[in-house]
Amino acid sequence: MARTGVKRSNWIGRVLLVDLLAGLRLTLGYMVSKTVTHHYPDYEKWVPYQRHRGHHFIKTNEEGEVNCVACELCSKICPCDCITVIPFENEKGDRRPKVFDINLARCLYCGLCEDACPADAIKLGQEYEVATHHRGTLVVHLEDLVKAPGKAGNGGVVRPATLDRNGGLRSVTRTRPKDAGLDWWSRIRRER
Amino acid sequence: MENVLSLVPVLIKMAIVVGVLLLLPLPLTWLERKIAAHIQQRPGPMRVGWHGLLQPLADAIKLLTKEDHIPAEADRMLFSIAPVVALVPPFLVFVAIPIGDPIQMFGTEIALSISDLNVGLLFILAVSGIGVFGTILAGWASNSKYAVLGSLRSIAQMISYEIPMGFSVIGVVMLAGSMQLSQIVSSQQGLWNVVVQPIGFFVFFVSGLAEAQRIPFDLPEAEGDLGAGYHTEYSGIRFSLFMLAEYLVVVVLAFLNVLLFFGGWLGGPAFLPATIWLLLKVGFFIWVFMWLRFTFPRYRYDQLMAIGWKLLLPLSLLNILVSGFVML
Ligand code: SF4
Ligand code: SF4
Repeated sequence: MARTGVKRSNWIGRVLLVDLLAGLRLTLGYMVSKTVTHHYPDYEKWVPYQRHRGHHFIKTNEEGEVNCVACELCSKICPCDCITVIPFENEKGDRRPKVFDINLARCLYCGLCEDACPADAIKLGQEYEVATHHRGTLVVHLEDLVKAPGKAGNGGVVRPATLDRNGGLRSVTRTRPKDAGLDWWSRIRRER
Repeated sequence: MENVLSLVPVLIKMAIVVGVLLLLPLPLTWLERKIAAHIQQRPGPMRVGWHGLLQPLADAIKLLTKEDHIPAEADRMLFSIAPVVALVPPFLVFVAIPIGDPIQMFGTEIALSISDLNVGLLFILAVSGIGVFGTILAGWASNSKYAVLGSLRSIAQMISYEIPMGFSVIGVVMLAGSMQLSQIVSSQQGLWNVVVQPIGFFVFFVSGLAEAQRIPFDLPEAEGDLGAGYHTEYSGIRFSLFMLAEYLVVVVLAFLNVLLFFGGWLGGPAFLPATIWLLLKVGFFIWVFMWLRFTFPRYRYDQLMAIGWKLLLPLSLLNILVSGFVML
């Protein structure tokens, strides 16, 4: 049998239990290395990368008006049919959305609406905590979208955070967005 | 009156030992979970108390207030006494375990053991052999196939490993010329037995692991193939008695390894009290057992038997033979 041959050839190692000791050395190394757990949500929070596609937000211009021109392209391209746009003409004669609802429960966060938008209005941001007790609150309106957090500036890090219990449970980071967070990937052990 | 007075220190020592042993599993579960977690790069229990230190307390409360269920088909009598049968031997063993040289207190000499029997080692091996009855009774009384399989395995395992374990300590007894644990310790003055008897130590360590049913020899409670083995049907307080027994067996094993092969309380730095030094060594061994547990997979049943009969038994006999020749 071939296997026996292999076994015989390193019998010295087997007698001295080399393979068992190698396993013990490995686990000892892990025992003294840093843990990789995120202490989410009340001590630490993962801030996603800039490319992350989370909760939508709508950009505004310098005068505080939404960029959206209510062309309804996003609503047309949306594969889940979850955007509702109703246009109206404001005092200045601009076409703007009267109603802009996104049903986050149906959204698959594909980002097609962001790609389709001709006016640099709708974007997918860094917010990923959309859990709720009521399905109705998952339909977000124009005012929520304007206020929603944008793309993560220097994301891909873990930041100190606290748990905010006002209006549902949310984890809120405590450092300023400019501060460098903890590079979580540096804690991952790689065997050479 | 004299007799009654001489009983007082014994009673106090017994109370201390029982109290400590009952509380010991709390920090040990915490330690075990922490070691398991850190080997897997997790922090383990973190939220209850500082670094989860109070977690075992919360678990204990949970276990004690849980429903104490006895299966309808079970043999109620045996089912109820099995955890006690499993728990008593580890407590009994501590009667013979010394933790230091006698000390002077209140003008009398107080031995740091409940009773330093002159056949201490024999007593310990014999009493810890009883522990398997708890396992057998639990498996049999549960009337469930997993439990019965678990206890069948543990019977076979105990029989195969008690023999090399007994043989492996014969070398130590030959060197000390006594079975009294304090004598065995003092015979290691200058040179620990692990240097003189490395094979004996290896056999004792491995068969001790098997006796305590620790990974890699935890076939009686292999959660992968048997549910939880012999205590599958147990819950609540009876289950926690089994857990208590399991941790105490580990402590007993660590004590025996230290006393028999690592010089007991001898050889520590001068500033440390001997007993603290002994406990440090014991703690180290407990840590090693937990480290092993989360490193190795479980042996297959035939491998378990092969290691016991084909490896450890000849090794321990060889050890006796060689020590005999050297001593002549
Ligand atoms: S991300 Fe995709 S699914 Fe969600 S609203 Fe935009 S287009 Fe629709
Ligand atoms: S968000 Fe963009 S694509 Fe959607 S309606 Fe407004 S301008 Fe058009």
